[in-house]
Amino acid sequence: MQKREEGPTRPTSTSTPGRWLRIRNGGPPRHGGGRKLSAARRSSITRTPHKSTMASTSAPWQWPVPRPLQQLFDSFPLVTYAATELPARSQPATSDSVPTLYVFASEADARLGAPSFNPGCLKWQTFLRLAGVTFRILPSTNHASPTGALPFLLPARPNTTPIPATKLHTYALQHGTCPPSEPSTLRLDAYHSLLDLPLRNAWLHALYLNPAHTSLLDTFYTAPASSSPWIRDALRLQLRRAAEAEILKTGSYLSAAAAGTAVVDGKQVYEGAREALEALAALLAESETGWFFGAQRPTLFDAGVFAFTYLMVRYMDGEGGLGGMVKGAGDGELEGHRRRVLEAARWGGEK
Amino acid sequence: MADAASYGGNTAVGGVSSHEGPEQVDPSGLQAIFDNTLAPATIHTVELHGAKYTRRSLLDYIFKPLVESSPNATLGDVVARVGTAQSKLSRLGIFKDDSFQVFISDARKSPAGQPETTELDIAFNVKEKSRLALGAGTDIGNTEGSAYTNAELRNIFGGAETLTVNARTGTRTRSAYNAALSAPVLGNPDIRAAFEAQQSSTSKPWASHEENITGGSVKVAWQQADNGDSHSVTYSSVWRQLTNLLPGASPTVRGDAGDSLKNSFTYSFTRDRLDRLSGPVPTLPQSGYLIRAMSELAGWGFLKGDVAFSKTELELSTTRPLAIPGVKNTSGITVGGGFRMGLLYPLPFSYGLSGPRSPSRINDRFQLGGPTDVRGFKLGGLGPHDNGDAVGGDVYAAGGVNMMLPIPRVGASSPLRIQLFANGGRLVALKNKGKSKEGEGGHLQMSSRAVSRSMRSAVSELADGLPSMAAGVGLVYAHPAARFELNFSLPLAVRKGEEGRKGLQVGVGINFL
Repeated sequence: MQKREEGPTRPTSTSTPGRWLRIRNGGPPRHGGGRKLSAARRSSITRTPHKSTMASTSAPWQWPVPRPLQQLFDSFPLVTYAATELPARSQPATSDSVPTLYVFASEADARLGAPSFNPGCLKWQTFLRLAGVTFRILPSTNHASPTGALPFLLPARPNTTPIPATKLHTYALQHGTCPPSEPSTLRLDAYHSLLDLPLRNAWLHALYLNPAHTSLLDTFYTAPASSSPWIRDALRLQLRRAAEAEILKTGSYLSAAAAGTAVVDGKQVYEGAREALEALAALLAESETGWFFGAQRPTLFDAGVFAFTYLMVRYMDGEGGLGGMVKGAGDGELEGHRRRVLEAARWGGEK
Repeated sequence: MADAASYGGNTAVGGVSSHEGPEQVDPSGLQAIFDNTLAPATIHTVELHGAKYTRRSLLDYIFKPLVESSPNATLGDVVARVGTAQSKLSRLGIFKDDSFQVFISDARKSPAGQPETTELDIAFNVKEKSRLALGAGTDIGNTEGSAYTNAELRNIFGGAETLTVNARTGTRTRSAYNAALSAPVLGNPDIRAAFEAQQSSTSKPWASHEENITGGSVKVAWQQADNGDSHSVTYSSVWRQLTNLLPGASPTVRGDAGDSLKNSFTYSFTRDRLDRLSGPVPTLPQSGYLIRAMSELAGWGFLKGDVAFSKTELELSTTRPLAIPGVKNTSGITVGGGFRMGLLYPLPFSYGLSGPRSPSRINDRFQLGGPTDVRGFKLGGLGPHDNGDAVGGDVYAAGGVNMMLPIPRVGASSPLRIQLFANGGRLVALKNKGKSKEGEGGHLQMSSRAVSRSMRSAVSELADGLPSMAAGVGLVYAHPAARFELNFSLPLAVRKGEEGRKGLQVGVGINFL
């Protein structure tokens, strides 16, 4: 299970590659502007870029050039000036001194380095902070990512090769000041699946399908994309469809009432989340260090759990909401864990 | 709808069969017509045959001016007006070009003495084009080849309305769908209004991305009857999506990835005074000039959207024959020059001009370089480059001179030429001079003063040093569908990061600098 979470987002079926890839981190899909036919093609392009086009323009005819002619060629251009400066919008795209983590975030939050509102992004943002990596964050969209999903990291200029989420763990071990070790236990995979399935599905359901959180969904994903109401509507529709398909993929939340058409049964989703949270709380109760699996310092798994518990408490703390479930799980172990991670990740000011 | 439409006159209109050709007309009547064009004349009836599906209201616009009686009309006036009406009918584009026949006959069957005024019967014979046309083929545009299928529904409601549906795929256009409904305004074939919807996906390898576009537009285009200048005003609303970045995409491109809506008004003007007819080859103008201008206002005030700017482009080109002493006829040698410039100025979204504004995005900025503009550079080879990506600029100027020489033995009458050229240009981006919020995130905004300061410095940067230049020699084949060029060129002056091209370069296009 962990492999699937961490591994490359290479789709196996051609019918829904984009969807799987798009929403896997609990983030919105890459809204395709309703271009259904491009989904399969797009993912193929991501992996096999049109190098041929590039090559044909960058490598012209190669045949042996006589020496004098070569010398003549080499003397051109006669004058070379300094490079033309980049446009104004290029300035914030990277930094000369620190790497940039591209995440879903509001501009104000990004300026402060505050936690991202996307579970996948927050997990890595937290982990990099826990590992002592110095970086800044930049608000972005899935379209900008080399894998089709945020986050990814751009090292400081001049190196502009993006580091996808799948390689961030290695990156943190190399560049962090205090990289945490990963606990080696067989149970890790089993517990990872609690994050990947019940918790993630509950988050998707609450944010995307529950009409009560429409304004939150708009603030997070559709409003930053465009100021236009009709583009926002189109994107929201795509996001909801993708989220629903994603939840249904697990296959265990079909509503009994709906024969023939697949409808997500919200109650089942939340019940699954409650059980998962209880299991995590019980697991945490076994630990003497306050971190999962008895680790000395918080690990990637702690960051993964925190990403959900923090967002659920922060944004869905209402009556019967997911935040309440987090706080009520076990004897409040998860709530305590959430506070400890905030402290450890130097987000002391956050609640 | 009646098979024959008739106008004017106070007598009943004859049937279709009553007009069978000029030879049927009384020869003496014809003689009277052509004897004296200054003789007073009126129109008795006008008939149109063969316009089965065409609406009467459309034809009214064309024939009303013909039959409106002016008291002192002469025969010459009438014949001129008949010519105008025929030309309008033809330009509607719904009748077969080779089907036009006009019959003019004296209304009085038996000439009784010297007439006060000549009364004329006028009959037009036309054949409507088929109402549905399907086509498929290949197309060559500037630096791109494509294949398309096309369906055209003509004269849908009988008012010369045309619906065109088009699907294409090409070397750069991954897919494009387009539907346009156009119709003449008030029956005037020189003014057309069009509604258009489009969706396309285009690969832009020079900046490592693909752009998807969904949008619609309303356009009114008109041509000045007296001098042929053409104008158009377009309102368009386009959802652009920058996506599918290549792995090596630069931070600038990554920063602009995603969605944006552009709402804009565009005015464009073309004055084409190139003389194509007097030279040996119609596709190689011998003399004259061409002016093109385009001006776009996006996002400002009521327009809204995600981008706000004004964008202006101007293109001039001229060519003249080079007389060689001792050669009698036109030598076929021409010298030409071209100049293009453009400026993109960020505007606030609010009304007025004082509000803060966002710097331009890559899909709005200009690109310069390539075989059809500044030869000797790669596509988008000029201007600022980030990590190999041509990220475009907000101000540019480019110019070139060329000389076309007929090929010895092949001669001036062939569309082949040898070309000598030198061209260059400069593409500069607007920088944010006021060192604003560097550091964590955020798309920076600029104050109106910062923009005008930066724009002044960008414009002055155009003349900073020599422009990036290249010169070379090549072969030109001016086919009616497109112009093909094979050039050998060397860059003379470049900026670091700009992609000049040493050696051979192939150019295919319609509109060259």
